[in-house]
Amino acid sequence: MDSAPLIRDEEVFLRMNLAERVQHWVLISSFLLLILTGLPLFFYGVRFFQLLLPSGQSFYVRGIVHRIAAVVMIANVIAHLLYTALTRRGRDNFKEMLPRWQDVKDAVGLFGYNIGLSRFLNKRGIGARFFKKHPYWLFERHPLYGRYNFVEKFEYWALGWGTFVMIFSGFFMWNVELSLRFFPLWVHDIFIIVHGYEAILAFLAVIVWHMYNVHLSPEVFPMSKVWLNGKITGKELRLLHPLEYEKILEERRKILSAEAL
Amino acid sequence: MNRTTTGRILLVFLSAALSVFLGAAPAAQSDEDCQACHGDKDLKSETGKLLFVDHAEFQGTIHGQGGLSCVDCHADLRTVTDFPHDSPLKPAACGDCHEAAVQQFARSIHQAANDRGTSGISIGCKDCHGTHAIKPSDDFDSPTFAINLPATCEKCHLEKVPSKKGTGFIGGYNLSAHFKALEKAGLTMSANCGHCHGAHDIKSVGDPLSFVSRKNIIKTCGTCHVGIQRGYLEGVHGIDYVKGIKDVPVCTDCHSEHNILSPEDIDSTVYATRVAQVCANCHDDMALSRQYGFLTSRLRTYNESFHGTAARFGETRVANCASCHGFHDIRASSDPKSSISKANLPATCGQCHPGASRHFAEGLIHSAPEQVQTAKYGTAHVVKEVYIFIIAAIIAVMVVFIAADFLRRILRKEKHG
Repeated sequence: MDSAPLIRDEEVFLRMNLAERVQHWVLISSFLLLILTGLPLFFYGVRFFQLLLPSGQSFYVRGIVHRIAAVVMIANVIAHLLYTALTRRGRDNFKEMLPRWQDVKDAVGLFGYNIGLSRFLNKRGIGARFFKKHPYWLFERHPLYGRYNFVEKFEYWALGWGTFVMIFSGFFMWNVELSLRFFPLWVHDIFIIVHGYEAILAFLAVIVWHMYNVHLSPEVFPMSKVWLNGKITGKELRLLHPLEYEKILEERRKILSAEAL
Repeated sequence: MNRTTTGRILLVFLSAALSVFLGAAPAAQSDEDCQACHGDKDLKSETGKLLFVDHAEFQGTIHGQGGLSCVDCHADLRTVTDFPHDSPLKPAACGDCHEAAVQQFARSIHQAANDRGTSGISIGCKDCHGTHAIKPSDDFDSPTFAINLPATCEKCHLEKVPSKKGTGFIGGYNLSAHFKALEKAGLTMSANCGHCHGAHDIKSVGDPLSFVSRKNIIKTCGTCHVGIQRGYLEGVHGIDYVKGIKDVPVCTDCHSEHNILSPEDIDSTVYATRVAQVCANCHDDMALSRQYGFLTSRLRTYNESFHGTAARFGETRVANCASCHGFHDIRASSDPKSSISKANLPATCGQCHPGASRHFAEGLIHSAPEQVQTAKYGTAHVVKEVYIFIIAAIIAVMVVFIAADFLRRILRKEKHG
C-alpha cells in the first residue's frame, strides 16, 4: 500500500463544480456592482464618487444599475437555494456547511495556536497542572479541518444572513410607497439605516476576512484558484482539509478491502 | 406725438419763457452768438476737447423744441461779455426747471461722493442724461431709457467705481434674469438699476432710506412681485421681518443681489440642488439656532437622507428644502397651514410619492438624534449606533485574528526555511 498511495499528491479533486463556480462568479459581479453603486449614497462627500457620478443623470443610472444588480443577486440566491435543495452534491455541501460546536473550538484553537501564549506559559511551568488536565487549552497543534473550516462556514452564513437583510430592507426601499403603506416612517427609517450599515459591514468583512483567506494568506498567496478552475490537489486536500482527506482515504480503503474480498 | 410729450414741451416752453422774463437784466447771448464759435466743427479747447455743439440737433430735442436757448442752461454765461469766455463752465442749471430732481440728487450717494471728492469722478445730471442731445427717458435712444439704463450706470460702476463686494458684483446684473427679460425679451418693466435703487435719490444700501435697505427691500421687490411679497409676509420669515428682527432673511439673502437668476437656472442660488446650502447659511448656524430656538444640522441631516444625497449628485427630481417647506411663505410645522404639519404631510409627500399614506407623518424626516422627542421615532438612530459598534467589534476581532495568523505563518516559514 505504501508503494501506491490511495491519494496521490498530484491527484485532482473537484472542490467547486461549474454550477458552484458560476454562482460564485455571479455573486462577485453583482456584489461588486451593488457596492460600487451603493457606496456613493453612504460616502456622498468623497471626491471619487463625485467624479464617478458627475451629474443627476448618472446618479439616476446608478440607481437603475443598483436595482439590476440586486435582481441578479436575488436570482443567484434563488438558484443557489434550488441547487442546494435539489442536487445530491448541493445537499451534501449543505450538510458539511452546518455549523458545529467543533467550529467554535477550531476558531479558539487556531487563535490560541497562533498566539502561542499557552505553550509559552507551559514551557515556563506556569499552569502546568491545568494544561495537563485540559490539553486542548495548550493549543499545541493547528486545528484539523474537514471539507469546510470555520472560516468558510462563518463567511457562508454571514453572507446568507446579510443577503436576507439586504434583500428585505432593499425591497422596501425600492418600493417606498408600498413600505409606508405597511410601516410608519420611523420603521422605514430603520430599513434605510440597516441597508446602509449592513452593506458597510459586508464590504469590510469581505475586504478583511475573505481577501485574507483567499488571497493574502501565505497559504494561498497570491490567490487560491479554486474559484476559477474548481480544482484542488491531493496535497492541498491533505494539508488544508485533512479530515476530508481522511474521509476520502477511508472510503477508498473500504472499497479496496471490499474488492479484495 | 402723444399727449405727455406735448405737455412736456409746453412745460419746457413756459418755463423757458419765464426764465427769460425773469433773468432779463443785460441782453443775454443769443444762440447765434454762441454758434459763432461753437458752430465750428473743429473748435477745440487747449486740452484738445471738442467744443462743437450741434445746434441743429439741439433744436430737435425736447429742450430745443421748447425754445430753450444756450444760456438758459449755461446760466453763468448770461452776463458774460468778453469772449472767448472763461472755462470750465459751471454745470448746466438743470435745477432751474427740474427742481425736484436736483433736490433729490443733492441728497443722493452720488452727491455725497462728489462732496467727498475722493473718487476722482464728479457726477452730475449730464453723466446719465447726456448733454445737448438730451432725450426723455421713454425715448428708445435715451441713456436713461429702461433698456439702456444698465449700460449707462455701468459706465462707471463696472470698473471705475469698485463695489465693496468685489469687482464682479455689479456686473452680475448682466447675467441676471432681470437683465435677460429687459434685453432679450424687451420687457421694460423688468427690474433695471433704477427700479431697485431709485434714480436721482439713490442712497447707500446702509441708509434706511435706500430702496434696497433691509427696511425697504421687501417693498421694493414687492413693487413687481406683489404676490410673493404677500406670501413672504404671511410666512415665518416675513412675520419676524415685520417685527424688525435683523437676522431674518429678506429677498436678497436667498436670491442674491444683482445676479438674480431664475430658480430653473443651474447657477441660481435657489436652484433645486443648491437651495439647501442657502437655507443652511442660517439653519446650520449654532448661534442663530440658539438665539431663535430652531433646529440645527439641517443640511447635514438632509444630505444624509436619500433626497439630500441625490441632490448633491445633481439629481433635481428629489425633494429639496422648498419642495416640502415651501419657499416664500414658509410656516412652522406647528402651523396647521404648514405644508409639513402632521395633517398636511401625507399630501406634501404625495406630490412625489403617489398615494402617500398617513404613515408618512409617523416619523421624523432628517432629524438629528438629539432632536428626537418621540422615543420610537429615534429607533433608527439607535440601530445606527448599534451597527457602528458591531461593525467596529467584528472588524477588530477579524483584524486581530488575521494578524495572529499571518505572523505565526511568517515565523513558521523562517523557522523551517
